[in-house]
Amino acid sequence: MAVREETLGSYAGLVADDPREFRVHGSIYTDPQLFVAEMQRIFERCWVYVGHESEVSAPGDYKTVVVGTQPLILTRHEDGRIYCLYNRCRHRGAVVCRQERGHSNFFRCRYHNWVYANNGALIGMAQSTGYPDDFDRRAYGLVPAARLESYRGMLFVNLSDRGPGLAEHLAPVRRYIDYWFGRSPVEEIEVCLPPHRYEYPGNWKLQAENGSDGYHGNYVHLSWQRVLALARESTVEETQQYRQAGCTRGLANGHGVLERPGSLNPNSSWTARMMHRYPAYAEAMRARFSDEELVEISARRNIFVFPNLYLFETHCRVIVPRAPDRTEVHLYVYALRGVPDAINEGRFRGHERFFGPAGFGTPDDIEVFTEVQTGVRARGVEWNLLNRGQHRERFEAGEWIGHTTDEAPQRSLYRQWRRMMADGERADA
Amino acid sequence: MPERLRAEEAERFLFAEARLLDERRFEEWEALFADDAVYWLPIDPDKDPSQAVAIIYDDRQRLHERVYRLTKTPVLDQNPPSRTIRFVSNVEVADGERADEAVVHCRQLIAEMRPGGPGQEGLNAPRLFAARCQYRLRQVGGAWKIALKQVVLLTSDEPQYNLSFIP
Repeated sequence: MAVREETLGSYAGLVADDPREFRVHGSIYTDPQLFVAEMQRIFERCWVYVGHESEVSAPGDYKTVVVGTQPLILTRHEDGRIYCLYNRCRHRGAVVCRQERGHSNFFRCRYHNWVYANNGALIGMAQSTGYPDDFDRRAYGLVPAARLESYRGMLFVNLSDRGPGLAEHLAPVRRYIDYWFGRSPVEEIEVCLPPHRYEYPGNWKLQAENGSDGYHGNYVHLSWQRVLALARESTVEETQQYRQAGCTRGLANGHGVLERPGSLNPNSSWTARMMHRYPAYAEAMRARFSDEELVEISARRNIFVFPNLYLFETHCRVIVPRAPDRTEVHLYVYALRGVPDAINEGRFRGHERFFGPAGFGTPDDIEVFTEVQTGVRARGVEWNLLNRGQHRERFEAGEWIGHTTDEAPQRSLYRQWRRMMADGERADA
Repeated sequence: MPERLRAEEAERFLFAEARLLDERRFEEWEALFADDAVYWLPIDPDKDPSQAVAIIYDDRQRLHERVYRLTKTPVLDQNPPSRTIRFVSNVEVADGERADEAVVHCRQLIAEMRPGGPGQEGLNAPRLFAARCQYRLRQVGGAWKIALKQVVLLTSDEPQYNLSFIP
């Protein structure tokens, strides 16, 4: 992967924003140099989700993360603040932390015992008399990511100090994130470790496209629909009818939403059903929200936050690109704070039933990712179509709103992808 | 007074179970489970399932759904189906907490592969899964039934590709 930046090409032309036939070139899933350019121009210049505050709740807590393909440590210092530091000793470049997560009051490089505090400050090194008296330790701390910001406990880093702040990046999708928090009557979540993790031999954008794709469900997940029928939860016809309702939203800055309508009817939404089943939950929710807000909150949404995060009903989904044809996906299941324990336990079991490497849904999705990854090697055909619903979508309050099976979110994703690849190219030049 | 489970008997039971899975006789496999059974693949075996997700945490109904899905619905993730070859070893038998139960520990090695056309991503690649397993077996009407099957993969907390074959 040692491709020098100046050898990277122009890739913006691989997304054709044609008003009748929006399409993407097959090489965006396979080209190794393009992958390097994506890491530099998107993942190292955009706000990338790295975790939730509840994962590092006490001073000393840490987790190691990968942003693009770079190793970093997310940790809370004794000053109570959270830091995101490059996991690289300033001396000879070894990582200073090898664990996935844990608790430590310092990070020590095992090569020559350079020791750093959780805020990155260099505390000392072995045989320090080998350095002159005026050696300035303050200049050799672990290097922090250029920017680390939180939105309601969700932590994002940006490895570049240029470009919009987090608030501006999230602005187009913020109201949907807020509704998503609203299923907790105190509007808070708590991540419940360990995460589900899966990997597949395919490109990261296949997962990014699919989480807000309302078109595939009746075909890829027919087997899931048959399980729901077996359990007498809904017939296949009822499920497929439900899947016609709602909309897709293509938002600015690459974000997108697949949405099912909200309702106060216990037969029509999860939130209303839980409120019906647990009076304490209903009371807390009604004390906090109006009926109009409850309808919005009860709408089921898959929310894509460009470039690497999905918010689902049960989990925060983090997409980790590893190579053009290799991707890891981490599903951080969370508890809703302020709800009866039985609701959260039910959410865990409901999550396992569909999601994860042995769920009744996820492996079917992954199967088609591998089918695309194999198919796009056929270079005799150049383009993939993402034009579904272009003729019938409407533009309203800054959003492209389409039928629930339309590809409005995917078009938003690739417009932002194209913009960042072009901006990055100019910045490189 | 219920009979104690002898080691050879436990081995025969586990070998037969492995063969049912290798031969994809999933409905017969399902019939080995007691009505209140749990089939559990933890990510972290020390974590209480009420506090976290597992790879699989099936009660009897969920297990039935799993088998129904594999045998009666148009799944993609097992089409083409996995071939598996399972090895069972290091079988140890201990008394259970209940007089009619025994606890069986063993190690399993599952070799798995899904065959397909040339160059198909995700197919044609043999995978190995090593696991330490714990069973709670219970005497029900003169036969041994599985009350608990816990499979802790060596890679339980690593990212997994398709585990839709039954590990």
